[in-house]
Amino acid sequence: MIETNFTFSEPFAERMRLIRKKVAETGRVFKRNRMGMVGLAILIVFAAMAAFPAQIMWVFSTVGGWDYPYGPHDEVASPGTGTDPSWEHWLGTDSRGNDVLARLIYGARISLMIGTLAAAVSMVLGSMVGLLSGFWGGWRDEVLMRVTDVFLVLPWLVLMIVFVAVLPGGPSVTKIVIVIGITGWAGTARIVRTQVLSIKKRAFVERARSVGAGEFHIIRKHIFPNVFPLIFANAILTVALAILSESALSFLGMGAAATVDVTWGNMLEDALGALAMYNGFYLWVIMPGLCIVFLVLGFTFIGYALDEIFNPKLRKR
Amino acid sequence: MRNFRRILLRRVISLFVTFLLVICINFVLFRMMPGDPLQFMVPSDPKIPDEYKEMLIERYNLDDSMSEQFITYIKGVFTLDFGESFIHKVPAMDYLLDYIPWTLLLVGIASVFMIVIGMLIGILAAWKRGGLFDSGSLAFSLFFYAMPTFWLAMIMVMTFAETWEIFPASRAMGIGEEFEFTLASVKELLSHLVLPVTCLVLVYIATFSLVMRGSLSDVMTEDYITTARSKGLSEKAVLKDHAVPNAMLPMLILIALTVAYIVGGAFMVEYVFEYPGVGWATIDAVNEEDWPVLQAAFFLIAVAVIIANFVSDIVMMYLDPRVELS
Repeated sequence: MIETNFTFSEPFAERMRLIRKKVAETGRVFKRNRMGMVGLAILIVFAAMAAFPAQIMWVFSTVGGWDYPYGPHDEVASPGTGTDPSWEHWLGTDSRGNDVLARLIYGARISLMIGTLAAAVSMVLGSMVGLLSGFWGGWRDEVLMRVTDVFLVLPWLVLMIVFVAVLPGGPSVTKIVIVIGITGWAGTARIVRTQVLSIKKRAFVERARSVGAGEFHIIRKHIFPNVFPLIFANAILTVALAILSESALSFLGMGAAATVDVTWGNMLEDALGALAMYNGFYLWVIMPGLCIVFLVLGFTFIGYALDEIFNPKLRKR
Repeated sequence: MRNFRRILLRRVISLFVTFLLVICINFVLFRMMPGDPLQFMVPSDPKIPDEYKEMLIERYNLDDSMSEQFITYIKGVFTLDFGESFIHKVPAMDYLLDYIPWTLLLVGIASVFMIVIGMLIGILAAWKRGGLFDSGSLAFSLFFYAMPTFWLAMIMVMTFAETWEIFPASRAMGIGEEFEFTLASVKELLSHLVLPVTCLVLVYIATFSLVMRGSLSDVMTEDYITTARSKGLSEKAVLKDHAVPNAMLPMLILIALTVAYIVGGAFMVEYVFEYPGVGWATIDAVNEEDWPVLQAAFFLIAVAVIIANFVSDIVMMYLDPRVELS
């Protein structure tokens, strides 16, 4: 190979090659997993909704011959109890006088965003606690695990409600992300810790230690890469839980403000508030919930598929 | 046996530490709240006399230093005294006590059903693995598992209570009715319980059926199952006497761990059905900013879950002496 100024250093290029190979390999196995592919398909649909809501609404408006593509906060009907579905408003309008379909499609963005960000927060927290606790052992492990226990023991919903109530600031997306993030990390910490405990005993960690590698070097270079697949698969499943948590909080009126950020959870809050179930506006109740169910299913499927790939022991099941 | 006692002691200690941490969190969280607590109790209205505010400061010890407040709080915890509800003007714990039996009733009945049905589904699925029942039940369980509890509750209200009018949609009894031990009253109560219980059972059934299926599938590959089969035992006997008992352990662990989640689900169900349980009272307390009640509810639920965990630990140690401290 001819050395040019632009090539990466040898170890770095080698590492990139290995990572690429691993990703490609995982992709190949993943493609053969039917559950995983269904999950991916579902996710792509919702990702499209989140990325291009205005464009999707434009297509619908052309098909339906509406005056213009409605936005989620446009008052297209007079506020009240809501209206039945019509050619103009396929899913009807809600108590705010907004188009339900528009809110549904725009809602994908915030719901997805809160889900992924909150999962990211809780994964980072959980992995850190799990890695350090498992690696350190001793009294520091004991302390971290007792704290983890507290979060594991307390019902997640109660914990979230209390956090929302006591944290400063009004309802906002950031607050919800933080609340879901700091209440949902305990399970991950437990799983990661168990894995770290078994990896710690392997010979290569001992070897690294014997040549004088520092604590954080061992964690970063030897332990983290080995627990990463587990963390990743777990993160996907956590997103599903975070989406459910968000919808529950929004439903209780403790989530993002419905006038600013549309989520499926606060659409359902509106529906309950306007007693849509009793007034016969069935689609307004059914559709946001179905979106939540399918998005959660999508993430769950992908998570299970990745779990099977990364933990070959499970594959026989 | 000595070993057993040592493990038990360690469990008790670690649970006690957890309990202490919960108490501390409960204190710190509610002191972390932004702003002046008086603001929550008294609307900012100049017409309210200063004497009233002073009385409140006196009653809730707002002028004390943090450490004095903590001591008062700890004393309160051990006498179950969390102060007086801002809204209802009765001790917070007394206020909640009225709601506890209703939640126990709902969660208790639902738990029995979800555990029994979930286990049966899991056993059947694992027994005929890969069959039609297996994949069918898997799809069914996952679908409900992915469902927001409150949404399922709304759908049930819509179909069974509104459209078909089979079951009542809200509260635990008819309007203005009190529960008595008469046939009519019991019937009324049960008809009100049908929808909330079904809702909880459907959502949580997957948790149990999936774990039972996984655990039984594992057991079915063990050598002693092959041995039992080669002895000429019927499939039913193999399943009943050899496989299922050995697959029960993960189930027991799960039951303990799920309690916390079921309580969370029950909150949502109670909210939608306006069922007068602890969950409904808690959510109401948040909306009314009734912090003593919220604090008491938080404490109550945490203690209930800790006790449930402890009981399951002991049961597990009796059933499987191999269980070591993990």
